Amino acid sequence: MTRRRLLPYLLAAPGLALALVIVLWPLWQLLVIGTGDVNRFGQVRGFSGADNLLAVLADPDFHAALGRTLVWTVGIVLGTILVSFPVALILDRDFHGRGIARVIVMLPWAVSLTMTAIVWRWALQGESGMLNSALRGLGVLDGNVQWLAQASTAFPMQLLIGVLVSIPFTVTVFLGGLASIPEDLHEAAALEGASPWAAFRTVTLPLMAPFVNIAVILNTIYVFNSFPIIWATTGGGPASSTDILVTYLYKLGFRFGRLGDAAALSLVMFALLLLFTVLYVWLVERQQRRDA
Amino acid sequence: MKTLSLSLLALLAAAPALAQVEGTLRFTVAEYSSATGPYFEDLATQFEAANPGTDIQIEVVPWDVLLQKLTTDISAGVNADMAIIGTRWLIDFVNEGLAAPASDVVSQEVLDRFVPALLEPGTLEGTLYGLPVAASARALYVNDALLSQAGAAAPATWDEVRTAAQAVVDGTDAAGFGLQGNEIETDVYFYYALWSFGGDIIEADGTSGLDSPAAIEAATLYKEMIDAGLTQEGATAMSREDVQNLFKQGGVSMVITAPFLANQIAAEVPDLDYSVHPVPAGPTGANFTYGVTDSIVVFENSQNKELAGAFLDFAFQPEARARFTSGEGFLPVTTAEAALPEFADDPTLQVFTGLMANARFAPTIPGWEEIAQITSDALQRVYLGEETPEAALTAAAAEIDGILQSNQ
Repeated sequence: MTRRRLLPYLLAAPGLALALVIVLWPLWQLLVIGTGDVNRFGQVRGFSGADNLLAVLADPDFHAALGRTLVWTVGIVLGTILVSFPVALILDRDFHGRGIARVIVMLPWAVSLTMTAIVWRWALQGESGMLNSALRGLGVLDGNVQWLAQASTAFPMQLLIGVLVSIPFTVTVFLGGLASIPEDLHEAAALEGASPWAAFRTVTLPLMAPFVNIAVILNTIYVFNSFPIIWATTGGGPASSTDILVTYLYKLGFRFGRLGDAAALSLVMFALLLLFTVLYVWLVERQQRRDA
Repeated sequence: MKTLSLSLLALLAAAPALAQVEGTLRFTVAEYSSATGPYFEDLATQFEAANPGTDIQIEVVPWDVLLQKLTTDISAGVNADMAIIGTRWLIDFVNEGLAAPASDVVSQEVLDRFVPALLEPGTLEGTLYGLPVAASARALYVNDALLSQAGAAAPATWDEVRTAAQAVVDGTDAAGFGLQGNEIETDVYFYYALWSFGGDIIEADGTSGLDSPAAIEAATLYKEMIDAGLTQEGATAMSREDVQNLFKQGGVSMVITAPFLANQIAAEVPDLDYSVHPVPAGPTGANFTYGVTDSIVVFENSQNKELAGAFLDFAFQPEARARFTSGEGFLPVTTAEAALPEFADDPTLQVFTGLMANARFAPTIPGWEEIAQITSDALQRVYLGEETPEAALTAAAAEIDGILQSNQ
């Protein structure tokens, strides 16, 4: 009897141990450095309590980056969901060349994010960039726009790139979801005389909810911590006006050598993500209980 | 006969010393170009062949991540025996007791090989810690074809820069003055003007010089040139490489940068008609170039200082150095190397080495990278027109003073 009860734990133990080492050990290290008096090279000299945390919270650059991270995350996740849903609906239909269309949508996924960001940096370059010459060719622009020279044009472009690179993953999740909806439900709806819109609203959308939830949570985690797009296009500049938390974190740690502050900021970011995920899962479960 | 026996004696005397160096030496090398790795690998192979029993392990690290790699290695206690570092980082290494004094590692004879001025930035409170491995200065590159088309002469002062830039803008399709306003060294591009107008980064009283009249005058000059359309468009999007590329394409007539642009031009656009001139002077005639050295430091915790000394002795021979210096587009760091015809007879390099006598270096203070970032951010706000030079620089100076104070 005991053996049967123990077996699942035994089987899970190696994976659990690995996860603990991978997650808890760095977290412990962060805690030590984040509450320590740390020199430029990460050597802990003593305990300093909340000093590092307070220094970060008092930094105006932190507040600016925090606000921008919110816009960045919400903007990209929302934009991605809104674009990916119709794309997935189209790709779910049977049409000539669907295979090729699916490959084209998935293709950006195969390219490393940094590579994509660097190509965009070239495309957005003021003098020789492709975007300017394309827009000039179309007669939209007269002169060159220096896209990356100020945050008012650079940040929206970065959001756009963020949406673009998040689409393949999200579409894949949605296609899986659409494939799991039984065909007879649609047939039944059609027999009952439901319009396509009504069928979409009452059949497709509710059944897709769990997949949308997964896409929201995973995308939020990816996007919140996404470093390459901003770093490769503007490096957080000009004048730190496109910094999000993760690029600010990098500068703090590896440019300025304030490793204690950087560790404290990492913990803040970890807590923010954890809070979001718990809150979101709680909201979703409450919704499901209400529906049931 | 006597000389033979003498040299035999000398050989006998030298033999045990040579035989003593053995073991493994790890050397973290900054990647200046694609030629850097192969150069040091080659050097290591030659050294190993001459000194059996030694193993020199070269770790090539790109510049962008070098400081990060050194930081993580040091915090984990697995740093190499020696490393190339930016000399401006040296103070942090010395303050934490990580760098060994150079005299503990190499002999006075090796130290005497260097150009004395280049040992200065690596010397802290009278002790030399960093051996200069690469040296560079800045000068004004001028596209002579564009200037003669516009009917202007190569400028020697900032007033003449403005006039020449105006002539180029009026008479050609190119932009006048190349103004770097993004990424690393955005602050340095401003120091040229700052120094010309008589200012300094850190003033004699130990506070920031960014709020001085000279600094405000210098920033105003750049801002006025932007507003008058005398610079290329979108300065705050243009990194040093972007401005250099524009110069190579003939899109801008003037740019201030390092000797390696001459190497790039020779390789990519050999037909470009250009010349190199001193950094423009200010109203008092003052002009200073920005001198940069990178240093080799041997770590205090290295167990192989003797081997490190032997390898450095080997690496700072004139032929080996000349191959590195001309391959990467730097300035000679040893006097024997500087006397070689390939450097002594090169007119472009002569301009740079001439300027080196009047060079200023980045101040050796802790937290320099953060101070540089604050300065760059303030300048970008000025260039974008978000703040006046006076407001942006005064605020930046106050912030920098706070850092300087907390470091004391």
